[in-house]
Amino acid sequence: MSVSPPAALQTQNLVLGYQRTTIIDQLNAEIPHGQVTAIIGPNGCGKSTLLAGLAKLHPAKQGQILLDGRDIARLSPREMAQSLALLPQDGVAPDGMTVADLVRFGRHPHTGLLRQWSKDDQQAVVEAIATADLSSMADRPLTTLSGGQRQRAWIAMALAQATPLLLLDEPTAALDLGHQIEVFELIRQLAAEGKTVVMVVHDLASACRYADHLIAMRTGTIIAAGAPKAIVTPELIHQLYGVHCRLIPDPVSGTPIIVGVQRSIEKLEE
Amino acid sequence: MDRLSMTSTSAAHDISAPTAFNGRPAGLWVLSFGRFSLLLDRRAWLASLLLLLATIVLVGLSLGSGTVKIAPFDALAALFNQGETKTIFIVRDLRLTRVLGGGMAGAALGMAGCLLQTLSRNRLANPDTIGIDNAATAFAVASVVAVSTTLAPSAMALTGAITMLSLTFALSGGAGTRGYRFLITGLGLGSICGAATNLMLARAPIDAANTAFPWTVGSLNNRSGVVVTLLAWGVVVMLPLAVIVGKRLNLVRLPDAVAQSLGVRVNRLRLFTILLAGSLTGLAVAVAGPVGMIGLAAPELGRRLAGPRTVPIVPAALAGACFTMLADLLGRTLFSPTEIPVGIVTALVGGPYLLWFLLRTPRGKQL
Repeated sequence: MSVSPPAALQTQNLVLGYQRTTIIDQLNAEIPHGQVTAIIGPNGCGKSTLLAGLAKLHPAKQGQILLDGRDIARLSPREMAQSLALLPQDGVAPDGMTVADLVRFGRHPHTGLLRQWSKDDQQAVVEAIATADLSSMADRPLTTLSGGQRQRAWIAMALAQATPLLLLDEPTAALDLGHQIEVFELIRQLAAEGKTVVMVVHDLASACRYADHLIAMRTGTIIAAGAPKAIVTPELIHQLYGVHCRLIPDPVSGTPIIVGVQRSIEKLEE
Repeated sequence: MDRLSMTSTSAAHDISAPTAFNGRPAGLWVLSFGRFSLLLDRRAWLASLLLLLATIVLVGLSLGSGTVKIAPFDALAALFNQGETKTIFIVRDLRLTRVLGGGMAGAALGMAGCLLQTLSRNRLANPDTIGIDNAATAFAVASVVAVSTTLAPSAMALTGAITMLSLTFALSGGAGTRGYRFLITGLGLGSICGAATNLMLARAPIDAANTAFPWTVGSLNNRSGVVVTLLAWGVVVMLPLAVIVGKRLNLVRLPDAVAQSLGVRVNRLRLFTILLAGSLTGLAVAVAGPVGMIGLAAPELGRRLAGPRTVPIVPAALAGACFTMLADLLGRTLFSPTEIPVGIVTALVGGPYLLWFLLRTPRGKQL
């Protein structure tokens, strides 16, 4: 194995959950710097909980999360917000809000009661909107945009936050194929510009194609982590989802594609 | 003014250059002095200015109307010790308490409604639903009906409001998601207080029940100056707090997870918002009793005028003051010399007004 760069985020024996239930149990994960990490796994495996935990939405019951080596439990909300942006699944914006209005919210951690707007803020908003390719519709209400454009507007808000880390919970969940690619390519571009991206993704083929690093989870623990080509095997798929399949390389990208998915193993053996 | 100190932006700039988005916040004024800068929502400021004018006019009209008619302008002048001694006496010593009480109670209810509605993202949340006014009523009625001496009903109403606020807090264990636990607990406790009020009224002698009646509907007649002064100071202190809280609440209009990841301490903000709204409601009902509809209708008008970018604390406060003073003015003059309590007028006028407001709004609107 090649030497991996130092971790941007690292969990140490992390336990997350609600009152009496434990969802994430003794988890040790590493999110590599400047790469796209995809968290995959079946429904209810704790992917989203882990993501929320990394963003400090839920406090850790045990263990800790290190952000560039510092325990996030000790960071103030403002410090957290300056280093990590989160995009949840259900992005519903208030009525009547324009793209620029939404993106401006991203500057909140950089402003204060008496420093509400500066040249830097303005610059960051312009750049975020340009990166998300929304400059021509900055003053349009969000409700008039397509699903893909709206998702890019939310990503632009997170970009305006100007954080080295970006966490996305199923960024393409409600989008059609074209809009999915739009968002994934934007994510690749961000990683190329140096951002560390962590995303929860349902579609395995997309995860393999657009992520540098996979974290495969089942029932609150990690069962495999590493580069897609290195860890994705029919056995792993079976472990994760209880189905049998074959893998073939994508003729274009070379990343694994899953074919012949079925619940019994018989026909695949032929 | 625009050219000197402010950068004004509007939709106009995108006509000349269709693609150049320059990042200047549209519809907002950027005010900067050295390291400090403020973002002011143009529409909200214009709305506030408009409502302030309406408030001044209504203050003049209210101070002028009564057995001795005084022209609104003279009444306003008398407020500042200008004019005839007799007029000054009538305005400042006889009428001011009532007008101030009405205006301030309305402002407090408008702000409380605006805070609660934004917090719960529910346009129906308002000071009436958190039970504080029911408790204030029950305590005030008890002081009139059960105790033979005139234990000041206002003080009792305030005691009731404070008791209720603490009790609701203790029982709900904080704000809960979107403040719902608090709202529901308040609703439950409020209905118990309502039942207690009815029980007391049913068992009381008819004279006592008559005296207690204004406290069950909300009235501004013959209010104690001390409590009105307390309310006025309360509003003066809490208005800036509410404005600051409103700025934060603006972010809570986004999904909770987003607000939190933008650095807002959402739970603490909720708690503080409820405490603020509860205190404002408590002071208002201690003066006016349970005046309904203001907390619902005032934020609605504020939002409509101020637009979607802000939480309209100041417009809601001014709209609340206007509504209450207007309702009291109507109640006093419409069937003069018979006086209709302000709470009955707000219910009569406010109900249809709110229906019209809500029904003409396109569906799917969200705070």
